[in-house]
Formats: sequence, C-alpha cells, structure tokens
Amino acid sequence: MSDPVIEARGIGLAYRLARSRPGTLKEFAVRSLRKQIHYEQLWALKDVTFRVDRGEVLGVIGPNGAGKSTLMKVIARVLPPTEGRVVVRGSVAPMIELGAGFNAELTGEENVLMYGTLLGRDRDHMQDRLPAIAEWAGLENFMDVPIRSYSSGMLARLGFSVATDVQPDLLVVDEVLSVGDAVFQQKSRARITSMIESGTSVVLVTHDLELVAGLATKVMYLDGGHNKGIGPPDEIVAAYRDGLL
Amino acid sequence: MPANSAVYYDSDQARRPLLSEMRNLWDYRDLVRLLVRRDLTVRYKRSTLGVWWTLLNPLLTTLILWMVFGNFFRFETPGVPFIVYLLSGILLVTFFSQSVIASGSAIVNNAGILSKVFVPPEVFSFSAAVAAAVNFVISLIPLVILQLANGLGIPWTVVLIPIPVLSLLALGAGVGLLVASAAVFFFDVLDLTAVLLQLLSYLTPTFYPITIVPDRFLWVIYLNPLYSYLVVFRGFMYEGAFAPGWNFAYMVGSALAALLVGIYVFSRSWRNLIAVL
Repeated sequence: MSDPVIEARGIGLAYRLARSRPGTLKEFAVRSLRKQIHYEQLWALKDVTFRVDRGEVLGVIGPNGAGKSTLMKVIARVLPPTEGRVVVRGSVAPMIELGAGFNAELTGEENVLMYGTLLGRDRDHMQDRLPAIAEWAGLENFMDVPIRSYSSGMLARLGFSVATDVQPDLLVVDEVLSVGDAVFQQKSRARITSMIESGTSVVLVTHDLELVAGLATKVMYLDGGHNKGIGPPDEIVAAYRDGLL
Repeated sequence: MPANSAVYYDSDQARRPLLSEMRNLWDYRDLVRLLVRRDLTVRYKRSTLGVWWTLLNPLLTTLILWMVFGNFFRFETPGVPFIVYLLSGILLVTFFSQSVIASGSAIVNNAGILSKVFVPPEVFSFSAAVAAAVNFVISLIPLVILQLANGLGIPWTVVLIPIPVLSLLALGAGVGLLVASAAVFFFDVLDLTAVLLQLLSYLTPTFYPITIVPDRFLWVIYLNPLYSYLVVFRGFMYEGAFAPGWNFAYMVGSALAALLVGIYVFSRSWRNLIAVL
C-alpha cells in the first residue's frame, strides 16, 4: 500500500472572534490603555484525525457550521492548522469556490489565464489549453468578452472547466457540484467520476446525501468541529439521518 | 494515473521564511506578471484619460508647487531649472508612496482569493509594488521632455536609473508588507500610513533646495532614506553625476533591510492574518 494522499492527525483550527477583536488601531490603543483586550477563540475544528488513500472518495457531511468548509481549507493549504499536522501527497486541485479571483473587467480568456496561474499552473500551459477549456464550458464565442456580461451559470461553467482541466492527485470539492442547470450538473459529475476512475482521490463536502452515498467510498460526519464518526457511506449517512451520532 | 506522490504540503514543515518566500516569488513569476498587467489594464482600460490619469496627480502637484515655490518664494536650484528639480522629486516620492499604499492594501484587497486558493500571499503585495514601478517609468516621459525643453539634455547615466528604481521598489515592497500585516488587523492603518508618507515627503527635498536647510536640521533630512534615493536618482537623471558613496550605501542598505524585515515579519504573522481575513 502506498502512502496516503491525506494524513491528518489531531487537527485543530481556532479563529479569533471578530466581536472581541478591535477593528481599528485607534480602538486597539484605547482598549489597551483600559486593559480591555481579551480574545475569544472559536475552535472551528478540534482533534480531527483521518486519512485518505489513493483513489478514495471521502464525503464530509454535517450541519451548517460544523467546520466542513474550514476542513477543506486546511487540506487545500489555505488555512494552516492551529494544532495537529496535515500532510498531503501529490498535486491538489482546490474547488472551494469556482473562479476565485475572477475579475469582472477582464475577458474570459484573461480570466482563464489568471485563474489557472493562481492555481499554480504554468502560463504557457494555460495558453495551450485555452481552446479546450472554452469548448468544455461551451463558451467559445464569449472568450474575448469581459465577464461582467456573463451569467452566473456561465461563470460557474468556466470556473469548473479551468479547475478540472488537469487531472490532480487530489480534488477538494466544496459544494460546487450543485451549481448550474441539470445538464451542466450531469456533465460536471461525469467529469469527476472519470477522474476518480483513473485514480484521483476526492474530498467532497455536500449537503446532498444521495450524492455522497453514490460517490463516496467513505464518509465522515462532522459536528461542532469534531469528527463524530468515519466509516462506510451507508452506515454514516443512515446514522446522520437518524440523528443517532 | 497521476504518478506524483511527492509531498505537496506538510503543515509541519520546517519554516524558513526568507528562503521559501524568495523561492515562492520565483515559482509564481508568471502570476506576478499577470497581476501587474491586470493592475495596469484594469486601471487604464476603463478611464478615458488612460495612462495620463497616473500622470495627472504628480503633474498638477508639480504645477502648483512650481507656482508657489518657484515663483512666489523664488527658490533657487543652481545648475538646474527649478521645474526639473521639482518634477524629479515629486515623481520619485509619488512612486514610493504609491508602492507602499498599493502593496500595503494588496492583501486586504485580495482576501477573497487568499481565503479560497493557496497562493503565496507576498505575490500580491510584490505585484502591486511592481505595478507602481511601471507607472513610475511611464511618468519619466514628461520629465525627459522637460529636460530636453530646458536644454539640459539626457546624460549617459540614465542607463543606471534601474539601480535607484529597483532599490526603491524593494523599499516600497518591504515597507508595504509591514503595512499589509497591520492592515489586516486594523483597517485604519492604511489611512495612518498615507498621513505618515505625506509627512515624510515634506522631509524630502523635493520642492526646496537642500542648501536652505539650516545646519542644525540637516541630520533630519540625511536620516530620511528617501533623501539618498533622490540624490542618486537626480544624479543619474539630469546631472550626469554619481551621488556621494554614503548615499549609495544608505540607499541599497535600507532597501535590502526593508525587504528582508518585511518578508520575515509578514511570513511569520501570516498564520494569524489568514485566520482573520
């Protein structure tokens, strides 16, 4: 067995709460003088341990505010964990928000180059892939138009097309499989499925329990930042439905 | 099947901020280039004045100061027309202010990206400072025209202009990174910085000759690093002369120190910054 794609041990992540934090230097100075500075911490994740092996699909479920998105950001290297350790092996395609960094004033083409480069890809490579990306998104005729004039569906298609243009070792997907119309949803799911079949591991956050049951090889139930159980999809989803966990 | 099983990310990896940040900047040079271009196109595409918009502020400032100090107060700058002396100073100080403010606000401005995708955050601050440098180079055109119109000509030393420009870019990016760290926590830091930059510009001999500064105040001017940059820059730009060695040393030294301290402090505090972005 090769090394796991994700190894997370005892991950904890603490946010400083905005209401206890002085927003301006002036406020900070005044409150320091009055000795009123104290921070409230919120642990969005606490002691979360799991591993994902090559080709596995981990579904993460749980109520709003359970820490699902925070966990995705920790895996995608956006948020360094406050405690614990996470090791990721191989290339990662983060799909936490499609088209993060899209700029309304720039054209579709310029945005594709920018987004791809933000994801750490080579600019020349992106230039070569432009036609294929535009075609998959069905936007060949709109690439030289500022994306101000795009609909939200067009934006989602373009973002998805760029993010999934290369086959990564790990795909981190946060709710983005539910965007767009039925045709696009089908098309995007087909693309993800074919990636899984050729060996990509996936971590998937969604409220769609049917999707999790159908796609995941194992499921983690997250609540209040704690891992409440990880195991076979049927078992965990059923337990979550029944509110037993 | 993807074959790459090298460790892509280990949250525990030894943190050597300086080395890894420098490497990040190099790895993401494509992104720096694109960000600089985005900065410039977004700024110019949608405005009728285009590139002249950037020049408007320093040119208007120069015009007013030329009227007040060149004609009302009648400041004399031996060897060079007052207007050339003035514009060269205003342009350089404007470049510094712009690079500090732009790179200082770059992190807050790109919070939407930084909280969704992993990108070395310094890339945004650095790109903003580079965009300010490009603006500065464009703004040298009116200065060149003024020099020619006043019969000063263009000395060969202009080919050395990249030395003060790159140094000032490093100073601006370094100070900008310090401002950026603070601006994430306190949004009024940027306003405060703008005020401090304004005060610093008064302590730089842009619109007055250094000769009118009384001896007992000279040390204040000498202490201001911008003075050294300006002396070197004016030497290369129209005097065709090299500034005193200590000015060069102070210029390069302050540039490197600011850049290193900026990167170090910023990368050390990133963990806390991203949690509140």
